[in-house]
Amino acid sequence: MSDPLPPGGPGVDAILAPFRGLASSLSIAIHDASGVRVGGTSPVDAPPGSLTRDIVAGPLVGGRVLAWGSSVATPLAVASVESLAIALGIAHTVGGAGIADVVAARRIEQELAHGRRLQRSFVSLVAPEVPGYELASHYEAAREVGGDFFDLFRMRRRGRPLSVVIADVSGKGIAAALLMAFSRPLLHAAVDNTTGPAEALERTNRILVQERRSSLFITALCAMLALSTGRLRLANAGHEPPLIVPGDGSPILPVDVGGPLLGAFGSLGLFEAEVELGAGDVVLFYTDGVTDARSAAGDRFEEDRLLAAIEAARDGSGTGHGTAAEIVESIRAAVTSFQAGMAPADDITIVAIGRRRPVLRRGVRRG
Amino acid sequence: MALDTTVAQASGRVPITVVSLDGELDASNFTALIETVRGLYDAGSRHLLLDLTDLRFMASSGLVALHSIVRLMHGEPPPDPEAGWGALHALGQDVSEGSTQAEVQLCGAQPAVERVLSRTGLNRLFLSHPDRATAIAAF
Repeated sequence: MSDPLPPGGPGVDAILAPFRGLASSLSIAIHDASGVRVGGTSPVDAPPGSLTRDIVAGPLVGGRVLAWGSSVATPLAVASVESLAIALGIAHTVGGAGIADVVAARRIEQELAHGRRLQRSFVSLVAPEVPGYELASHYEAAREVGGDFFDLFRMRRRGRPLSVVIADVSGKGIAAALLMAFSRPLLHAAVDNTTGPAEALERTNRILVQERRSSLFITALCAMLALSTGRLRLANAGHEPPLIVPGDGSPILPVDVGGPLLGAFGSLGLFEAEVELGAGDVVLFYTDGVTDARSAAGDRFEEDRLLAAIEAARDGSGTGHGTAAEIVESIRAAVTSFQAGMAPADDITIVAIGRRRPVLRRGVRRG
Repeated sequence: MALDTTVAQASGRVPITVVSLDGELDASNFTALIETVRGLYDAGSRHLLLDLTDLRFMASSGLVALHSIVRLMHGEPPPDPEAGWGALHALGQDVSEGSTQAEVQLCGAQPAVERVLSRTGLNRLFLSHPDRATAIAAF
C-alpha cells in the first residue's frame, strides 16, 4: 500500500497499525482530499456485515495528518491513535469498536514497547573486565518481546571466577518478559551462592516450581570459569549446547551435557561438565534464535551454517585461529545475510569467551 | 511457516483421535494447535495421538503447545501464562515416580523434532512410538 503522505508525519500505516486487530468489527478506509484511497485496514480483513468507516485524510499540516470522518464537518488533527479514535467516535456513534477498544489496543502497543525496553535492560551490555580473556557478545531483539537474556559477571568468591548465564524463556510477549525479569536475578543470586552451576540451576528450578510463576519454560545454561586455570564448569537445563572452538584449529566440539528445562519438573538431576580453555581457545554460547533463523525461502539456519560461520572466522582471522569477537561477528553477519533483511522472529543471542594467548615479550637490551 | 493439521479417528482398545502435523510448529501457529485440541476435547476425545511424521521443525513455543495439550486432555483449565504450573508439576511428579501420562502420545518424531524434545527433557512427559500403527496398538 503506498503512502503518499509527505515524510515527517506519523504516516497512515503507522496510525492505523493498532486498529488492524480490531478489523473483525471495524474497517477503516482513508482517502485523500481528492477521494483516492491512501490507506486503511484491508477490506478483505472485514467480515461481511462489519461496519466500514471512512476517513478522509487531508494534507499534512505541521507533521499531523488532517483527517475527518465522512460525516464530520470539521477536520480533526490526527497525531495519535487516540485522536483518530475520537474522530471515529464522533463520526460514528453506533455499534462497532468504540474508543475504549481503540485506546486498549493502543495501551497494548505501549506495553509491548515497555516490554522491549525492559528486556534490553536485562541483557548484560557492559561486559566485566576479565584480564587474560576476551569477551564478545551480540544480542538482537525479536519483533515481538522475546525471552532471551544473558549475564556475565565476576563472582564474589575467591579468585573472582567469571560466571556466564544464558537463558531463553519459551514464549513471547509480556508474560515472557515478566518471567525473565523474575528469573534473571534469581539465577544471578543462585550462581553467586552455590558451589557449582548444576546446584545453581537446581536451586533456581526449585524456586520457579514452588512459586508457580507461569506456564512458560526457561532453558538456561550456567558456566563458571576459573581465570587462572581456564577451567570451565558448566551445567545445562535444556539449552543449546555450548561449542568449544580450539585455538589450534582442531574440530569444533559441542559440550553435550544436558538435562530438562527449568520450571517443568520438581528435580532436574543435572550433571556438570568440565573443560579447560587453553590459550587461543574460545567457548561459544548461543540461543535457538541463531539456529532457528529463517530465510525468505523458509530454510532454517541450523547448526551446519553456524559451524561454517565459525570456520569462516577461523580461516579469515588475522590471528589464524579466530578471536571471540571475530567469531561472534562472523555468525552475526551470516545470520543477517541468511535472513536477507527480515527482522528476526526470535531473539538472537551470541556470547563468546576466548582465552588470550600470552604476549611474547622481546628481551629489552639495556645500556 | 505453515502448519497443516489433519484429524482422524482410530480405534485401539479405546477410541483414539489422531492429529497429524504437517509443516512447522512455531510461535505463529502453536496457539491454533492448542485451540484445535481444545475443540477435540470438548467434542469428546479423551485419547490423543500426535503424529509428527511430517513435522519438519518445532520451535520452543511448540513445547508450550505440547504442555498445554497434555493439560487440556486431562481436563485442566486452559493454560494461563500468568499462572498454572500446577498441572505440569503434577505430571512431572508422576514421571519421577516411574509412570507417565498416557492420554497424549507421540509417534513418528523426526530427528530435528526429537532433538528438541530430548534436549529440553519434555520427552519425559510422553510415550513416543516409531509409527502410527505401533502407537495405536499401545493405547
